[in-house]
Amino acid sequence: MAAKKLNMKDKYKMLTRDLDWEFSYQDRKEAFPYEEYEGIKITDWSKWEDPFRLTMDAYWKYQAEKEKKLYAIFDAFAQNNGHLNISDPRYVNALKVFLGGVTPVEYQAYQGFAHVGRQFGGVGARVACQMQSIDELRHVQTQIHAMSHYNKFFDGLHNWNGMQDKVWYMSVPTSFFHDARSSGPFEFLLAISFSFEYVLTNLLFVPFMSGAAYNGDMATVTFGFSSQSDEARHMTLGLEVIKFLLEQHEDNVPIVQKWVDKWFWRGTRVLGIVSMMMDYMLPNKVMSWREAWEIYFEQAGGALFKDLARYGIKPPKYVDIATAQMDHMSHQTWWNFYNFGEAAGFHTWIPSDKELDWLSEKYPQTFDKYYRPRWELAKKMEAEGKRFYSKGLPQLCNTCQVAMINTEVDDPTMLVYRSTEYKGEKYHFCSDGCHDIFVDEPEKFVQSWLPVHQILQGNCGGADLETVMREYYGMDVGVDNLDMKGSPDELRWKEWKSA
Amino acid sequence: MMSFLVTVEPTGEQIEVEEGQTILDAALRQGVWLPFACGHGTCATCKIQVLDGDVDVGAASSFALMDMERDEGKVLACCAIPESDLVIEADIDVDADFAGHPVEDFDAVVTAIVDLSPTIKGIHFRLDRPMAFQAGQYVNLTLPNLEGTRAFSIANKPSQADQLELHVRLVPGGAGTTWLHEQLAVGDTLRVSGPYGQFFVRKSDDKGAIFIAGGSGLSSPQAMILDLLEAGDSRPLYLFQGARNQAELYNRELFEELAQQFDNFHYIPALNAEESEDWQGFRGFVHDAARDYFDGKLEGHKAYLCGPPPMIDAAITTLMQGRVFERDIHMERFVTAADGADDSERSALFRRI
Repeated sequence: MAAKKLNMKDKYKMLTRDLDWEFSYQDRKEAFPYEEYEGIKITDWSKWEDPFRLTMDAYWKYQAEKEKKLYAIFDAFAQNNGHLNISDPRYVNALKVFLGGVTPVEYQAYQGFAHVGRQFGGVGARVACQMQSIDELRHVQTQIHAMSHYNKFFDGLHNWNGMQDKVWYMSVPTSFFHDARSSGPFEFLLAISFSFEYVLTNLLFVPFMSGAAYNGDMATVTFGFSSQSDEARHMTLGLEVIKFLLEQHEDNVPIVQKWVDKWFWRGTRVLGIVSMMMDYMLPNKVMSWREAWEIYFEQAGGALFKDLARYGIKPPKYVDIATAQMDHMSHQTWWNFYNFGEAAGFHTWIPSDKELDWLSEKYPQTFDKYYRPRWELAKKMEAEGKRFYSKGLPQLCNTCQVAMINTEVDDPTMLVYRSTEYKGEKYHFCSDGCHDIFVDEPEKFVQSWLPVHQILQGNCGGADLETVMREYYGMDVGVDNLDMKGSPDELRWKEWKSA
Repeated sequence: MMSFLVTVEPTGEQIEVEEGQTILDAALRQGVWLPFACGHGTCATCKIQVLDGDVDVGAASSFALMDMERDEGKVLACCAIPESDLVIEADIDVDADFAGHPVEDFDAVVTAIVDLSPTIKGIHFRLDRPMAFQAGQYVNLTLPNLEGTRAFSIANKPSQADQLELHVRLVPGGAGTTWLHEQLAVGDTLRVSGPYGQFFVRKSDDKGAIFIAGGSGLSSPQAMILDLLEAGDSRPLYLFQGARNQAELYNRELFEELAQQFDNFHYIPALNAEESEDWQGFRGFVHDAARDYFDGKLEGHKAYLCGPPPMIDAAITTLMQGRVFERDIHMERFVTAADGADDSERSALFRRI
């Protein structure tokens, strides 16, 4: 009689979980020192449901084939001068932000998952984290390779790695991940796997993948498809971890709620720069940021939080404020970069008349009233030869490190200033959400490395901002920064196209 | 319209997939859970193996479904469109308690029609031969001049293998139940196929069992309880039966007697619209009766839910708040013509509930 065929679950169990060992002569608690210190109670690791069942040999096989396909397309893209097929050279500035803002945090994700992949007492969770760790490293590499072609032809892509933890806006995603990685292992998974990868990931992917597709960037689209086939595993890990924590012990529920609140708010602040890419930096628009928020957060997230309510989890604190701000976020963010365009590592510009009309149509409640007049003024000044740059740098929020540009929900002309005192020092915040996060963990957030403070404290070299930018940030001043109009990027593009 | 029959291994569940419809869409609409995430061919969570038949792989991304996998007959359920009847294997678990009795066709002669309540009739049949089934499972009836089949849970215990007892509530506007209530007569013969479904008692788990039944959803729990008590099962059993009023609370005497006879069986009826003052039992919805009875602490039980979708939904919330989770919640939703299509967006948090 033929041996009974193992189903996928049993096969996976034998190849992974059954390779775990018992702690016969060592104290299990010493082997997993971080498992309890967050207050999370795990009563039975065997209840962990493996979010995906992929053995290591299958993993290598799949990833190898993905890489082969992806690199064939990168080659074709490079050999055919794919950069000439993009919609408009302004598009490349979105890639500059991506490479400096996203690629380094993929590397941090690799480090974070490698760390927590060691720290869980349950083997199922360890295996899932280790596999994700390797995925993240692959994403770092493929992103660098996808964009390296652009580095040969455009400015501002040469020193993303040196800029990521120094530059005044790149520190936003960097510090987000520093916060998660310096948390306990369960908070890390809730922050990255659940809040970021599950709840907010589509808001990051749509502008990049669809944005690249709409703007003729075949290399980035293909990278996106290749990584999305990994993301699904990451999302299911996020779902499994929240279910597991909520089901293991009722005392976990308030801890999970606090993390949901914190990481939702942290996530929305990080997305500010994505909103600006979507509404302003993509020459061919996919949809507005507001529409993306409605589809991917309000509808999909609504269904999720309806299901989570059964566990006693409420929608994230301040979700109403975040939603109200979605009518303003991209406009305020791009205006801020337009103002501080002298100190940015990419180009900024005034939207074309057609784009201004599109924004009016997509944001009927806010754009004509609050933002269009600013652009009309900027246009007038530019026409008079007075392109305006704010000198210096903006004040940053002590929690999210975003510039203090956020406005009150009931008065969009009033900036939000929240502050608190801790051990005799005053700390400033862009929102109630960021204020509350600081107050809950002040010893952590007094250590925030705020780029603007650091310059003023003399920790970034230089007697003036230009020297800091040139020597500390590694920017090619006068080339990487300033307006798109008249930039070397624009001049080269015109030459290529007229040739 | 043409459709194909897709058999899902290892559970043996079957789904009808319409021409041009994806396997995943058909499965989810027919209550058969398959793993999935993105729903549009880029993530590969819904990868399945085709064991037999022809299928169009559809718009599966070449990064999500590798060439070597295509060669092996793997497809993504969210994109794959059957071109013939199929047998597929999915990454789902076979329940250790599932007996896997084969589905067969039977001729069933009506032996009795009983008025159980003003809206529910008990219809008794004799089968042309015994049918092996698990208490809780259902059959499909083919009704004259009506397209498709109608599903009804079996209310008798499996030891009465040559009989069928079905509880049929008259659904306003429901062609099938109207025919059964108004046209069917003793002596008529109907074509029956079965048994179907994944709703049965997980006997290998010795936790106490909570049954929550609404309306004619009493049928499955009735069969399950009769079966357990007959076998001398000693685990604690709790039946919460929900109805509008005393007239709709059918088979009450049967369960009151069983509660007298068996120490481990507890019967808690709940009426949500009883006007009479003489009702001494619980007033309110059946899920509230369960919460009230256990003082909200339901942990450590298995739960079996049977009835209309809103009752099931409320009961799930009560159970989860009482810390009974998906793995211990089993259910049969009675969806009728009166229930609109449920097109509200679902999260991927839960599999079967």
